[in-house]
Amino acid sequence: MSKQDIKTEEKFMSHNAWFSIFMGVTLLIISVYPMLKQTSAPLLFIGGTAFLGSFFMFVIRGGFTWKLGYRLTYKDEFLNTIDTIAYKHVVLGLLFSMGAIFLLSDELALNVSHSMMATFYLALMCLIYGVSILWQSRD
Amino acid sequence: MQNNIAKFRKDKGLSQQELADAIAVSRKTISTVETGRFIPSVIIALKIATHFELSVEQLFTLDDND
Repeated sequence: MSKQDIKTEEKFMSHNAWFSIFMGVTLLIISVYPMLKQTSAPLLFIGGTAFLGSFFMFVIRGGFTWKLGYRLTYKDEFLNTIDTIAYKHVVLGLLFSMGAIFLLSDELALNVSHSMMATFYLALMCLIYGVSILWQSRD
Repeated sequence: MQNNIAKFRKDKGLSQQELADAIAVSRKTISTVETGRFIPSVIIALKIATHFELSVEQLFTLDDND
């Protein structure tokens, strides 16, 4: 593996972590705000636009990702390890949040749609992944 | 597990990035191995030892918890 590939992977992981956090916050706003305010359309439009904008910025600015091709794992040992641990954190976080919602909020199901809950879980997963990567890769 | 990588690296006047480039790993690998937060594979341990022309035992030592 060349030096350039490793630096590209390192850069990709850092971008990926920040993108996950940004996407997580966006999805959290989309899912939680309408639950609190009992309204959805305007915020959903703004949130969706922000998400698509950030996604395309990520693709355009992250054009280097094409060099990597599609791989399920990182080649660098450390990056691969923290990526795997981050996915474990995601699964644990998802289990705890689903358990908490299952136990604590029977009445919530009357007011909240399935799509909002799905968005909420997706937001949590993105946030946990991004934060886990940043936390593990600190110097 | 403890290691003396930072000491040998500084003695040679290398930065973390230069050592990482020399053994084809990411800089974060060197950084986290030096601080003891990441235990490297035998391959990386051997690469570092070979780079410094030392044995692995001179670089890594077990502590009481291992």
